[in-house]
This record gives sequence, C-alpha cells and structure tokens, in this order.
Amino acid sequence: MPDGSEWSDEIEEIVDRFQSCFDDMERLELLFEYAEKHPSTLPMDLWDDENMVHGCQSRAHVVCSLDNGGGFMAEGGADAQIVQGLMAITAIAVNGQSPEDVANHDPSYIEGMGLSRILTPSRANGFMNMVRKVKEEASAMM
Amino acid sequence: MSNPSPSTRGVTIAFDVEEIRSHFPILHRILPNGKPLVYFDNAATSQKPLAVIDAMSDFYKQYHANAHRANHTLADESTAALESARDRIAKFFGTSEDQMIYTGSATEAMNLVAYGWARYNLEEGDVVVTTEMEHHANIVPWQELSRERGIELRYVPIDTEKFTLDYDAMEVAIQGASLVCVGHVSNVLGVRNEIERVIEMAHSVGARVALDSAQGAPHEKINFDELGVDFCSIAAHKMAGPTGIGCLLVRSDALGEMGPFLTGGSIVKRVSKEDTLFQEGYAMFETGTPRMAEAIGWHAAVDWLEENIDFDEVHEYVHGIASWMATQMREIPGITVFGNPEMEESIGVVSFLHETIQAQDLGYLLDAGGFAVRTGHHCAQPLMEAMGVGSTNRASVWFYNTMEEAEAFVSHLGNIVDRFS
Repeated sequence: MPDGSEWSDEIEEIVDRFQSCFDDMERLELLFEYAEKHPSTLPMDLWDDENMVHGCQSRAHVVCSLDNGGGFMAEGGADAQIVQGLMAITAIAVNGQSPEDVANHDPSYIEGMGLSRILTPSRANGFMNMVRKVKEEASAMM
Repeated sequence: MSNPSPSTRGVTIAFDVEEIRSHFPILHRILPNGKPLVYFDNAATSQKPLAVIDAMSDFYKQYHANAHRANHTLADESTAALESARDRIAKFFGTSEDQMIYTGSATEAMNLVAYGWARYNLEEGDVVVTTEMEHHANIVPWQELSRERGIELRYVPIDTEKFTLDYDAMEVAIQGASLVCVGHVSNVLGVRNEIERVIEMAHSVGARVALDSAQGAPHEKINFDELGVDFCSIAAHKMAGPTGIGCLLVRSDALGEMGPFLTGGSIVKRVSKEDTLFQEGYAMFETGTPRMAEAIGWHAAVDWLEENIDFDEVHEYVHGIASWMATQMREIPGITVFGNPEMEESIGVVSFLHETIQAQDLGYLLDAGGFAVRTGHHCAQPLMEAMGVGSTNRASVWFYNTMEEAEAFVSHLGNIVDRFS
C-alpha cells in the first residue's frame, strides 16, 4: 500500500474514512455518499461526445480548464454513482494544482482507499480512463 | 406445499445438484473479498467440469501435435481425436459429422452463413429477415452484407407487452425472403422463440433458416436433423465446453451451395500461382491449424453432459429457479424484471433494472456480495432500444446453481435496494 506521503490533507482524510470501512459494501456505500454530496459539476446538457470518458459502461464526462489563478479544474459528471463518487474524489485530488502536477498525478489513493480490487482496468468502469483523460488534458495545458 | 423447504421453494430437483457441483472446482471458490462465488453469468459463459479441463490438459501433456499434417504417432493421435470429437459432437446435436463445420465461436458460425452461403447465393434486392431480439452476431453480418450486396434487410419487431417475437409481423416480413435468421433463445429475455413455427413459415415461402442457438443449446437437446433448420450456430463455451470453438451445423443441400469464407491452408486440394482447388464439404471451411484442444474439450463436455444431465429435468429445474427469482425480485421496490421468466418457455434468464440504482452500480454492489451477473446491453442494442432502456442487469441460471444461491441473491438485492436507493 502507498505510504500516502504525497497526498493532500483532504485526500488523506478520505483515505482514512475508506480504510475504516468493514467491507466492499461499506466502501461502495461511502462512494455513493461522496457522489451524493458532490453531484455533477458539469451540466448534463454539456455532456457530449467530445468530453466523454471512453471505456465506461455508464455515461461519464469530464471537462478540464484553468481557473483565474492558473490552477487546474476538472469538472465532470456520470450517471453511475460509483463513477460520480470517484470523479468527485479525483477532482478533490487534482483541482487547484498546477497542470504539471496533474500531468504527473498518481491516483495511488485508490489503493489506499481499498478500491483497487474493485476498480481494475478490466472492469470497464472507466476510472483509469478518466484519470488518463485528466492527465492528458493537463499535459496539453503545460 | 404450504411451507416449502428453503432449499427447494417447491422447485423440482430430479438430480443431485451437490454431486453435479462437485465436478466444477470453480464453483467452490472464495472471492478476494471473502465471499463465496455465486455464478449467475451463465448466459455469458458456463463453467467447465473437471472432465473437460482434464481432457484438454491430457492432450497438451500426452499427444499434442498438429492434426491432418503429418504421419508421426502424435499427429495421428491428434487427428484421430479431432475427428472423433467431430463425430461425437455432431451426434450429440442429432446429425452426422459431414453436416458440421468447426468454427471459432457461434458468432463466426453466423458470419460463415453470411459470407460462405449468402454471399454466394443472394444478390441485390434479395431479402434477409432477422429480428430486433437478436444478439449482434445475428444482426451485424446481415447489415454488412446488405451494404455490400444491396440486400434488403427486414426486422421482425418484438411484442413489448409479452416480450416475445411478433409472429404476425413475421408472417408479413418473410414474404419474398431468401433467408430468415432467428435466435433460438433470447440472451436478454430468456424467451425461447417458437422456432419450429418460424422454420415452417420460412420454408413455406422457400426461404432458408439460420438459427442462432448460442443460448438454446445449453438448455435444450438439439436434434438438428429433426428440427429441419438449414443452419444452426452453437458455442461450446456456453455449454460446459471450452472457449474458442463452436460450430455451424449445415444441411447437406445448403452445404453444397456454399463457397469458401476464410481462405488459406488446410482447405485446399491444390494451389498453383494462378488458381486454387478447394476441398469439399466441411473441409472447405476449416482453414489454418485446427482447434484441436478445444474440440477435444468439447468432446469431453458433451460426453459429460450426456452422462450427467437430462435436459428435460434441467429445463424444469433451471426454469423453476429463474421463475422463483423473478417473482421474488418483482416484490423488491423499484425493481423491474424484463420479459417473462415465469413463462414455461423461458429459459433461466432474469434481466432487471432498478429505477434509481444505475445498472453498473448495481453490478458492482452485487459483486460485492459475491454474485456474478452481467451488466450492459448484452450485445443486443436493438432489443434494448425496443425495450426503451440502455442496459440491464442479467442473472442467468444453469443446472449447477442452487435454490440457496437464488435465495441469497434475492436477499442481497433486497439489502442493496434498502441501503442504496
């Protein structure tokens, strides 16, 4: 398991919450909670083919931009709560960082949260594709 | 029975399920999350008995060599095993080995009908009929052929009230058709189509019939010669056999109308720089190194099925479990069951959705309880469109599933709905 030394305090707190879960059902329940508290920041009428995350059984969309201070901003939405929850946590992890930092982003907190078994790339959940898309867009902003 | 045993719920069990399960090592697996596996994804692929695993392992350990190519002992044994498997598998399906072509899958078998028969026999303006209930394997080859040859492609709709084919519409659609392509059993709804009626209707207008039995063969003993269908595609892996092999059963008169599909080695008598003289019969269609281990595994599977399974008993048992599950699941708030698994003709599939828990989420939540189900459009997007949904969750039952598993599934689904909706 990653040591978490590179995680922000917010992510550290999220990882702690997930680590206290009893089983996968509780972890998924918590993910649903994050999705509920952090609904799509991207209005559904802006969900289009261009910002779609591929490789996901559900609909997932991400738009990346820079805020006025030059900080990275990922806004996204998904119709599946699990993906929405992951998107919310990813946004917490990367938003406000420099594009350079986002381009080198390591989503090791997923392993720390005990979700890596559930989110293997072969499960077509789109999470890794979402991270890849965010990192690619950050690279393009550098 | 006023208070049925929790283990049967009134479902007739005419065989020893635990004994049957003992042949399938994977069914005893504990998943990484500590949950025992409950495998309800049989319509995607079935699990394999030890007899199949051992037969394939024995081939690789003892007599693996390329069939039909050499005179040494191993090649002779390998060739004999490949051809013995063809004879055995063909007989299992009620026909002779000269009417069976090995393919890589049921999908490849349906493509063989499109490119090995239809491309040689149909021309612009000819009509092919399929249905909106089909797996993509019985739609896309016809769309491609339609584009290539100007063939008219007609779709028979489903009756969205009864979730069956609209046979009145089919009567109209088949007029003037050259080929009617229909699924034996829907992979989404589990409904067994009235294939005997379709065959009769199609033959009455002079059309050939291609039957997609990928989902039918695991649940019903097919007698190809009696059925009278012209083409029938089957996948080994959905009926206890290995992946990577299937077959197309072809009536000999239809086989005589076919030409090569995939070309290269094995299927030729002689090749010059100018021309090629092809083999005849099934040998014209099995190019490249044969699927030897797979055929041997499939042979073992049909032997095992014949020895251990009575298909009529299995139908009653599987239908009983799926029917019970569907009835119980309809009682869970927000759950919609598609199709009619309680109908006698339905075969072991329960497709469902929850009104607020998205299908992919529900798939994960079921997996967290150890339940393997399929989530998605099941390669049947026109059917999804007709049903007005993008995807479903699908639990599919086979003879090694138990009523205890069904009870645990319904209970876990109820808990999910309580906690997550």
